[in-house]
Amino acid sequence: MKKGKIAMTITIGIACFALVTVMMMQFKVVNETDITAIEEMQETELKTELASWKTRYEEIDEQYQEVTQRIEEYKNDEVSNNEASQLVQEELEQTNTLLGLTDVYGEGIIITLKSGKDITPITADDLLIMVNALKFAGAEAISINDERIVNTTDIVYITSGSFIKVNGQRILEPYVIKVIGNQSHMESAVTGTGGKVDELLTLGHVATIEKDNDITIGKYNGEIETKYIQ
Amino acid sequence: MPNKKLISIILGVMCFALTLGIVVQVRTIQNTNSTISQNQEANALRDEILKYKERYDNRFAQLEEAEKELEKEREEATKNNTELEQAQQQITEGNKLTGMTEVTGPGVIITLSDGTGIATSTLNPSQLIVHDLDVLSVVNELINAGAEAISINEQRWVFTTAISCRGNTIDINGERIGAPFVIKAIGLPEYLAGLERVGGYLELMRGQGVGVNLEKSNNITIPKYSGVINFEYLQNVER
Repeated sequence: MKKGKIAMTITIGIACFALVTVMMMQFKVVNETDITAIEEMQETELKTELASWKTRYEEIDEQYQEVTQRIEEYKNDEVSNNEASQLVQEELEQTNTLLGLTDVYGEGIIITLKSGKDITPITADDLLIMVNALKFAGAEAISINDERIVNTTDIVYITSGSFIKVNGQRILEPYVIKVIGNQSHMESAVTGTGGKVDELLTLGHVATIEKDNDITIGKYNGEIETKYIQ
Repeated sequence: MPNKKLISIILGVMCFALTLGIVVQVRTIQNTNSTISQNQEANALRDEILKYKERYDNRFAQLEEAEKELEKEREEATKNNTELEQAQQQITEGNKLTGMTEVTGPGVIITLSDGTGIATSTLNPSQLIVHDLDVLSVVNELINAGAEAISINEQRWVFTTAISCRGNTIDINGERIGAPFVIKAIGLPEYLAGLERVGGYLELMRGQGVGVNLEKSNNITIPKYSGVINFEYLQNVER
């Protein structure tokens, strides 16, 4: 009698444990599935999402092929010092281009800004938002008054001196923003409703946009050094 | 006898809890079903998206491996030449800065979450929400404080990164992310923590009811950029 009771208790205990485990697993699955975002999307939105993931896959795939090919080249070139040197130089140039350490040219637009009289001057935030919008539209290189925008560029207002600093360098009006990228994309990123150039014009500032097929943007002049990243 | 009663009660409570759990689950599933449109075509599109996402994830992992191998090969090929060795070091260092490799180091983690306070007539409900400009401003301040690498919800900040509002979510590096925003930055923790200063942007956001948390850490990992930077319009000036 007693033995049977113990056996039953154990059986029930195990059954309960199994059930709870299964439940926990399910809750976890529900929590982890990141498909809620795409579940709420409509068909047109889904199509854009699909197109964007396709492009992202293709880009990463292309990059992968490139890297594997380069590995092969290094392996083959181990004998020839000359060719190895060429490969390294090529890679270094690519890295420097990404760092903004090379002078570059291409088509794009030039935006010139000047604060209107008797109104609050153009702010550092205005420039920050403008740069952000241009990046979003696919800008490949940007400079403000010849200060190249790199990934460690800050745009801040110095209250004590009432001026703006870009890359730690003081810049003065008029602000000349040079951008390399698709001209119509760049232009529409800052004009129209919600566009920063149109907004500044409405406030009474002076702003002009000029298309140019051959814009040169100088390299980043600051020092690039890392102390903390490994 | 009282022992039997006790067992019955325990069993009763257990059954109740289990039933409750099952009911909750069934309801959850019903809810999800309601948002899945009955449209076959839309479901096919969802499948396709997930498939590409998976393919992307797999390739990305392979790419990370391949890049490590490339670095080794490069080291191997340049080790007998001082000039090349220097170039190889510049490439490795450069890749860390441009976001092409994963990096670690000391720094801070800032979490911005939508406020939970009830919007009153005096408080604009929009102020309780973290906006794209808030994230952009915090990143700008972190750079100003000397941050060497930054990520927002595991999306690496590179020189082409823009932060853009897309409905209730924010678009970063082509990926959609929502609050809470976890911004990681590597740099001198003491300087980066200076963002907490009186009159700073974090304090301003706190005043508006947004949840702001800053935490120093000696071991932060920031992932590699999830995309590829290709130049279509830009060329290097030949010297």
